[in-house]
Amino acid sequence: MNKTLLIIKREYLTRVRKKTFIISTILFPVLYIGLIFGTSYIAVKSGTNLHVGVIDSSGYFDKGALERENMKDSSSILTLVDLPADSLKKNFKTMGYDGYLIIPSSLNWESSTGQLFTLHTGRTIGIEGAQPVQAKLNNIWSGIKNEKLGIDITKKTILEKNTINLKPQNVEDEKADSGVATGIAFVAGFLIYIILLLYGSQVMMGVMEEKTNRIAEVMVSSVKPFQLMLGKIIGIGLVALTQFLLWIAFVFIIYNVSSAYGSDGGAMGSMIGGVQKVFTSINVPLILFCFIFYLLGGFFFYSSLYAAIGSAVNEDMREAQSLSFPITMLVIISIALMQATMRDPSGPMAVWGSIIPFSSPIIMMGRIPFGVPGTVPWWQLIASMAALIAGFIFTTWFAGKIYRTGILMYGKKPSWKEMLKWAFRKN
Amino acid sequence: MSILELHHLRKYFATQKAVDDISLNIEKGQIFGLLGPNGAGKTTLIRMITGIFYPDEGEIMFDGKKFDPVNDIGKIGYMPEERGLYKKMKIGEQTEYLAQLKGLSRSEANKKIKEWFIKFDMHTWWNKKVEDLSKGMSQKLQFVTTVLHEPKLIILDEPFSGLDPVNTNLIKDEIYNLAQKGATIIFSTHRMEQVEEICDHIALVNKGRKILDGTVKQVKQDFKEHLFKVSFADQVTPEHLAIHLFEVKKKENKEVVIKVDPGYSNNDVLQYFINKGLRIESFNEILPSLNDIFIRLVGDTPTARQFQEVTA
Repeated sequence: MNKTLLIIKREYLTRVRKKTFIISTILFPVLYIGLIFGTSYIAVKSGTNLHVGVIDSSGYFDKGALERENMKDSSSILTLVDLPADSLKKNFKTMGYDGYLIIPSSLNWESSTGQLFTLHTGRTIGIEGAQPVQAKLNNIWSGIKNEKLGIDITKKTILEKNTINLKPQNVEDEKADSGVATGIAFVAGFLIYIILLLYGSQVMMGVMEEKTNRIAEVMVSSVKPFQLMLGKIIGIGLVALTQFLLWIAFVFIIYNVSSAYGSDGGAMGSMIGGVQKVFTSINVPLILFCFIFYLLGGFFFYSSLYAAIGSAVNEDMREAQSLSFPITMLVIISIALMQATMRDPSGPMAVWGSIIPFSSPIIMMGRIPFGVPGTVPWWQLIASMAALIAGFIFTTWFAGKIYRTGILMYGKKPSWKEMLKWAFRKN
Repeated sequence: MSILELHHLRKYFATQKAVDDISLNIEKGQIFGLLGPNGAGKTTLIRMITGIFYPDEGEIMFDGKKFDPVNDIGKIGYMPEERGLYKKMKIGEQTEYLAQLKGLSRSEANKKIKEWFIKFDMHTWWNKKVEDLSKGMSQKLQFVTTVLHEPKLIILDEPFSGLDPVNTNLIKDEIYNLAQKGATIIFSTHRMEQVEEICDHIALVNKGRKILDGTVKQVKQDFKEHLFKVSFADQVTPEHLAIHLFEVKKKENKEVVIKVDPGYSNNDVLQYFINKGLRIESFNEILPSLNDIFIRLVGDTPTARQFQEVTA
């Protein structure tokens, strides 16, 4: 069997068989979904259960109105208190309130300026935390104002619901749905970002392991250093691909199972409706193909650089981190740029960012869901792919030169300058 | 017939002439000692022979043909001084993997590994991991992985470091065995007593150049100092030794070590003692040990090579 194939096989099998691979494959989607639901849950939950005592000096707020609001949403409760301000200030805690609020007598419905009251609380609460209480007060307040202005329910609905909304639609790509596209673009770019960093550093650690275990010289007496490096990169790349395909398989299984059993109404039903909408509004095969292409292209581009660094340093993790910092920075800059380009997916920054190889894997994946050729003309896609292929051929060649020298070097950590010298030395 | 011929090999690094015009000839079946102080260029020389480095200049002939790293490294087994194995990999799998990289098929590798494991009493190790092994045990495993594919040329760099005397003998016997079967062994070490015991031929390298090359016997003859140890049945007195025939290096009651002056033969010395009426019990030449020769040849060079710019 071909030696590079043997190396690929070993690198692949030892990693896929590890428990950590299986666990991370299962855990990542669970954590990812958990994170999304968790943060929104926390966002909703935080600021709840505020029990606020209200002293109304203005005379606008009556018990009935507060009670009605408390009935509608019991997450925070407002209670009208008939006490002097000083004694409420002293006793609100013992009376079971989290805070109190004094509505001044100066409050006037005809005023044309906003009002700022203070919510006095026993513990520190952010602006967000005060939001539910503020919403309740405003509900009551607008009710009062409407009544005074003689606005009835019909007029009120017209005032509130009759608004103008904008939805961008590219004339060259009628099918594109920018809402869905934004979501897909974000998920795809983020996945590539995670995989580049995660598996790039796996390549670096793998090379470092060969150095620390002192097996590097044994290996290069059997195979060429370039074969060793390539085998490792491809092997680990296949691991990343396997993991990604498993995730895709999960999604399809969940989708099919849930559409078979849970299509009747409810949250599940609306989710499936959403997924169906996603699948009809975008070109799934093209996105999937591009995703795999940019995943692998970006992986080869970056991981060979990571391999070069792994070969240059000794067992010291800190050395590796400081030397790989510029490369990690490139990946992080790409994801930061992607968020900017998603707002304007056909602007000059988006176009160039998606053609230059170091950022193209992430930024192009942030543009493609907006539509090909509507947002991304074919020439840009082809130029980007060609540039990425040329880019990773260059980095692999460049890294191979550094790797060959570095893997047999022990001692002081080389500088970037020395590594460049290794790369451009003859033979 | 020679298995390996090196013609004027050169390899310069940015700050060192690591190998500077070395030629060598190693015969089939020989156990060849490659000696030299630290940093003499041995490792660089070996790395060129194993195809890890390309020489800047010169030519390597392997088994009568020009050395072709891609195809010939399968016929070489190299155990470097910086050696190691994948710690987390199972021993059986790892040995199989390394053998396959040397060009063996999986079944062939499997069969040979089993033979060696039984021979070295390692058959219970198959499913253990390398990290479970002691230093000596992993050394044995490393030796097996080096010779498993029956290489024609085996290069061992400090093969006995970390081994106890029992395992040292086990490996030593195996080295003789492999040489007997026709393999050629290049043995690189600092341990001169091992070289003296094992090697038939040696070369000494210093500062990137070969400074000595020959059979162990010949080298010792070349560097002999005409020292003799003479034992007598009688007490030796100072007046017995007051003569311009030899110089006394060491004197005990009935035994002297002398250095025979140039121009005189052993017979002259014996004649003299017999004429003095001393009864001689033994008369032996003291040949220098390789250790002595090594120190004499490289002892006056600075202990560390200095870095300097090389203009090639």
